[in-house]
Amino acid sequence: MNLLYVLAPLVPVAFVLGWWASRQIGARRSGAEVSELSSDYFRGLNYLLNEEQDKAIEVFLKLAEYNRDTVETHLALGNLFRRRGEVDRAIRLHQHLVSRPGLTDAMKTVALLELGEDYMRAGLLDRAEALFSDLVAMDAHAPSALRHLIAIYQHERDWHKAIEHARRLEVMTGEDEAPMIAQFYCELADRSRQHGARAEARDYLRQAFECQPDCVRAFMLTGRLQSEDGQHVEAVTAYEAAIKADIAFTPDILPPLLNSYARSQQMERAEGFLHDMLGRYHGISPVLALTHLYRQRDGERAAIDFLTAQLRQRPSVRGLMALIDATMDKIEGEARENFLILRDLTRKLLEGQAMYRCSRCGFGAKAHHWQCPSCKSWSTIRPIHGVASE
Amino acid sequence: MRLLAIIVLVIFIAAGTVLGALNADLVGYDLAFAQVRLPKGAALLVALVIGWLLGGLTAWLGVSMRQRRRQLRADKKLPAKP
Repeated sequence: MNLLYVLAPLVPVAFVLGWWASRQIGARRSGAEVSELSSDYFRGLNYLLNEEQDKAIEVFLKLAEYNRDTVETHLALGNLFRRRGEVDRAIRLHQHLVSRPGLTDAMKTVALLELGEDYMRAGLLDRAEALFSDLVAMDAHAPSALRHLIAIYQHERDWHKAIEHARRLEVMTGEDEAPMIAQFYCELADRSRQHGARAEARDYLRQAFECQPDCVRAFMLTGRLQSEDGQHVEAVTAYEAAIKADIAFTPDILPPLLNSYARSQQMERAEGFLHDMLGRYHGISPVLALTHLYRQRDGERAAIDFLTAQLRQRPSVRGLMALIDATMDKIEGEARENFLILRDLTRKLLEGQAMYRCSRCGFGAKAHHWQCPSCKSWSTIRPIHGVASE
Repeated sequence: MRLLAIIVLVIFIAAGTVLGALNADLVGYDLAFAQVRLPKGAALLVALVIGWLLGGLTAWLGVSMRQRRRQLRADKKLPAKP
């Protein structure tokens, strides 16, 4: 028999045997690695549970030298430390990671980003800024780094740099940052207004409108500028535009708007506008404004009748307090005493009440902020609608 | 276990030696670029070794490529930051 007939079937048999042997060796080797890693992991976890976090970090750092997967564990650990407020520990861990040789560039930049966040949390803004700027220059995690840089510049109130970086972020991600940039211009305009640089303030407002044509804050600032310059007719137009842009801000806009109506002697226009608002806005502010207007023009009786009729449709503690104040002069004796108690009660009820709430994080505030002090979002704090508030 | 492995190994070496001695006559191979003449036993051994090595190499390449793919996927996932 030809030798080839014997050899031919033997080669595939040997092939299968070799394949199987290689798989067996590979499985045994990875199993050894896993068990070695697992024992170190458990040792590290044990240290963590025993509150011996320094020793735990040492174990985890040694572990990082085995393979790249443990780097991710480190990043998670650093994140955990930062969230717990142990920023110094998080910084030390991330610094170790960054200085570790043999780390891939991708992992190193992630560690740098985390380190920057640690610095931010620790209040070391200059170091964080330097790190994030380097990351942007390297084009590594640039969108995240830019967002952090914008947050730093907002904190430092360096609005020019914030605008510059927000524009870069817009180009990089394609996301619309215009409302935020408009707020930065409004901040600049407000600062210029306070320093008396009115032309500069107007220029910033123009740029804010270019970013966001229906920017309520820019309309309100325009109205304020014009009112301060004695241009009350123009101020009225700006304030009315602000309410049209976002009716939710009515309680903040109405007081200066009414002032401008009065100074420009346009009370008929005021009445028309407020009547128009009653249909569109369900808060109590326009009702109170109209009550005030009727009291001045038609007398106390007409004002009380209007207010009582409106309170039946939209019950409100603020409205009730206005009604008590209006009727107080007409009441005498024991009823007056009872009314005084009721007035004090309603006043206390209103004093403890948050008038504004952030629609993003739920932060409650008594005064209005354009940037939420809690989640740092812009234009998310809005008046609360309800019986006890607006 | 180790003793059993040694015994099996000795049996295979003995069998190989006996087979090699019984099939000592030369066979010729024309490999196109060269002509080789070697004993039948050696030809058998070479065929087995080549098959074994090819099988091992295939398994090793398969495993290492799968690991590499998994690592790349994990690297891509990691940079996503809030």
